[in-house]
Amino acid sequence: MIRLEPRQDITFWTPFRSIGLAMLLTLIFALLVLFAMSEQPAEAIWQMATFPWQGRRMEVQFGLVLQQTAYLATIAIGLSVGYRANVWNIGAEGQFALGSITAYAGYLLIGSPDTLWALPLVLLAGVIGGCLWALIPAALRVTCNTNELLTSLMLVYVGGHLLTYLCIGPWKGDPKAGQAETYPIADQIQPPTFISGTELHAGLIILFAAFAVLALVLLFTLLGYRLRVAQHTPKAERFAGFEPRTTIWISFALSGAMAGLAGAVYMTAETGKLIQAENYLENFGFAAIVIAFLGRLHPLGILLAALMISYVNVGASYIQASLRVDDSVADLIEVAALFSFLATAVLDQYRIRFKRRNATRVNVT
Amino acid sequence: MNTDTPLIEVRNISKSFGDVQANQQINFSVQPTQIHALLGENGAGKSTLMKIICGLQQPDSGEILWRGEACNITSPKEARALGIGMVHQHFALFEGMSVAENIAFSIDGAVQGPALERDILALADKFGLDVEPKRPVFELSAGERQRIEILRALLLNPQLLILDEPTSVLTPQEADQLFNTVRKLAAEGHGIVFISHKLKEVRALCDAATILRGGAVVGSCDPRTTSAEEIAELMLGSRDIAAVKQPGLLGDVRLSATNVHLTHEDQTLQIDDLQLRGGEIFGVAGVAGNGQELLYAALSGELLCQHADAISIDATSVGTMGPNDRRALGAMFVPEERLGHAAVPHMDLVENTLLSNVANPDANRGGLVNWRYLLERARRVVDQFDVRHGGLKRAARNLSGGNLQKFVVGRELVKQPGVMIINQPTWGVDALSAVRIREALMDLANRGSAVLVISQDLDELLEISDRLSVLHHGVLAPAKPIAQWTIETLGLAMTGESESTQALAS
Repeated sequence: MIRLEPRQDITFWTPFRSIGLAMLLTLIFALLVLFAMSEQPAEAIWQMATFPWQGRRMEVQFGLVLQQTAYLATIAIGLSVGYRANVWNIGAEGQFALGSITAYAGYLLIGSPDTLWALPLVLLAGVIGGCLWALIPAALRVTCNTNELLTSLMLVYVGGHLLTYLCIGPWKGDPKAGQAETYPIADQIQPPTFISGTELHAGLIILFAAFAVLALVLLFTLLGYRLRVAQHTPKAERFAGFEPRTTIWISFALSGAMAGLAGAVYMTAETGKLIQAENYLENFGFAAIVIAFLGRLHPLGILLAALMISYVNVGASYIQASLRVDDSVADLIEVAALFSFLATAVLDQYRIRFKRRNATRVNVT
Repeated sequence: MNTDTPLIEVRNISKSFGDVQANQQINFSVQPTQIHALLGENGAGKSTLMKIICGLQQPDSGEILWRGEACNITSPKEARALGIGMVHQHFALFEGMSVAENIAFSIDGAVQGPALERDILALADKFGLDVEPKRPVFELSAGERQRIEILRALLLNPQLLILDEPTSVLTPQEADQLFNTVRKLAAEGHGIVFISHKLKEVRALCDAATILRGGAVVGSCDPRTTSAEEIAELMLGSRDIAAVKQPGLLGDVRLSATNVHLTHEDQTLQIDDLQLRGGEIFGVAGVAGNGQELLYAALSGELLCQHADAISIDATSVGTMGPNDRRALGAMFVPEERLGHAAVPHMDLVENTLLSNVANPDANRGGLVNWRYLLERARRVVDQFDVRHGGLKRAARNLSGGNLQKFVVGRELVKQPGVMIINQPTWGVDALSAVRIREALMDLANRGSAVLVISQDLDELLEISDRLSVLHHGVLAPAKPIAQWTIETLGLAMTGESESTQALAS
């Protein structure tokens, strides 16, 4: 018989045991997947692990990794705010879309400027848009006690359709384009690239800065404390005088703002215009949910998880091109990682004891 | 009295948990057709005895006879097979499922679908239990839910049915319906064990009673012919009510509550007039579940009143203010639950110090936490109140109950509160820590603060209170100086037997 016993001594180092175990499990699974899916498994594993050094320019590959990391980490840390407090916003994809839309709207409103000085305003418009979109499920939860999982998710699809509608309707751009899209924004307003030929642009700096600010807030201020109290002990939350409804508003506002910022940066730096939803949205909002949990809702963990998953994603694309291994490898590894991290998390709170009928005990971990 | 072989008889049952003797040498028997009351204060050993009979716990010594034959009940399954059914105080129902589905669950799906619904309706009809098998449970009232629990037990055709404080969640009308059902069951030849604190209903319903105190049987009687006073005295024991504490000089009114009417999750609270002066300790006695949580919540601001002037602290109306605004006025609070309410289990002691210092400008400087100040504060609390801990950076749940209680009480006491509200100050705390906590509370009152203690420990209240009131069914009775209470009036007030105690008291 297997039993779980609560751990008596939980220290700062306890979680590292389970994280190490999860990494090991993920690695084993990744190797198995590559063995199964590749005709040259050894080569595939080697290239996947070292792809930045395989190509001619290392900075191009690292640029791709950091680009993804920035979007994923920014959205994920926003989501982690709510998840810490048991507020389940899973609609970051929609808030990302709305951030893009309102950023474009902001650009049009200030008269299609052609100077970089207008960029902060455009991004601010995106932040506000994502934030307001997220406040809809918050309002429904607070006033009608609606399940925010459902409402935030459904608003993703509403947001996507709104994006497509704007591209084929009011803001319809070049009719000769192969897809529904708006006219592009001025080149001058797009965040400048640091190293030509790479994806390293000023927008990523803005995203990482936003990440760092929120991380510091969560780690060192009363707000971070408030969310940790709210996570497991709603009674203690009330004892401390924290109003639970305010926690819901704050959680949604922050996660929406972060997703909105990511959407605005994406629109200005990556596409330079709005495109119909299925060609525009890259599932960052959903992948970020996984990242938040892989990172155990801790800012540092989220950053590392975003880096790891981005590395795997870009590596999978690389071996798809070089060795024709299907890049769904990345999805499989991501899912394996999620399962391992969630499954081993129980070891932080409990130790497993194997107990035979005659009551001899064997201690594991 | 019935003279058949008893349905169940327990002989010399003893059970201890660590140092606590929960049951000692208990003898108890139930006849068929008998409605047998099991009476006693919280912690008298009623639950342990019932758990032993239901196979949830094994006695250390003693024997159980079922219909005159010795038997060994090692699991709830065996108890059910013998014919012992229990209806627990707290319902275990799936809210999203229908009545019939919930019942199917408990009988392992032996009967399902229309056949089960027929069975349920037939049984329900027989005992006057009004249920609709197809309705989802979340729509049902507490009384209706309890009927499902009773039906669940009855479908297994038990001969002995144990009802654990069945009326604690019921309205008087629902309780009357329940009594009719219970009488019908007894008339059918079932034996009933009826656990209750309420003497009135026990005297109306039961034909035998066994009274437990401190884990031992202290008496048995026929409740129909024994007076409520006698039963109350058996339950509470003959304690001296002598003012141990010398009432000091009383100051101004520091805490007052007038015309408070609150309802929260089926519980109600009514305070007509409560005035606490500086220098006094005000005790609130009462059986668990009579609104203690709500009283604490209303006074601490975790639950807000409709009108600001319903509650005031030092003449400032605070009825609509949250806990931190009340703390700013010098009121401090200690809730009943140590882990999860007064402290966050996985946070360390320094972080837990912040929990009641959120509005303290030294600890929270415009959103930035001053951890150095909190570390100092936590150190002061553990030094001053002798909290044994494995380090201030260890999680709160690593502390023993007594030490954590000293911590959460000390955390408030170092602030020298003008008003202190404390719910169950020494519940589950070792004797030495309990003494220290009580001394600290008396010390606080001597320095001019008003202290309100909600407790189920009568000895504790008699020891430290200047005035005492009783909470029954959510109503806070008018208070009397400790010397004017007798053990009879106290017992009657706690069991709700006599409304006249309230009239006398005012």
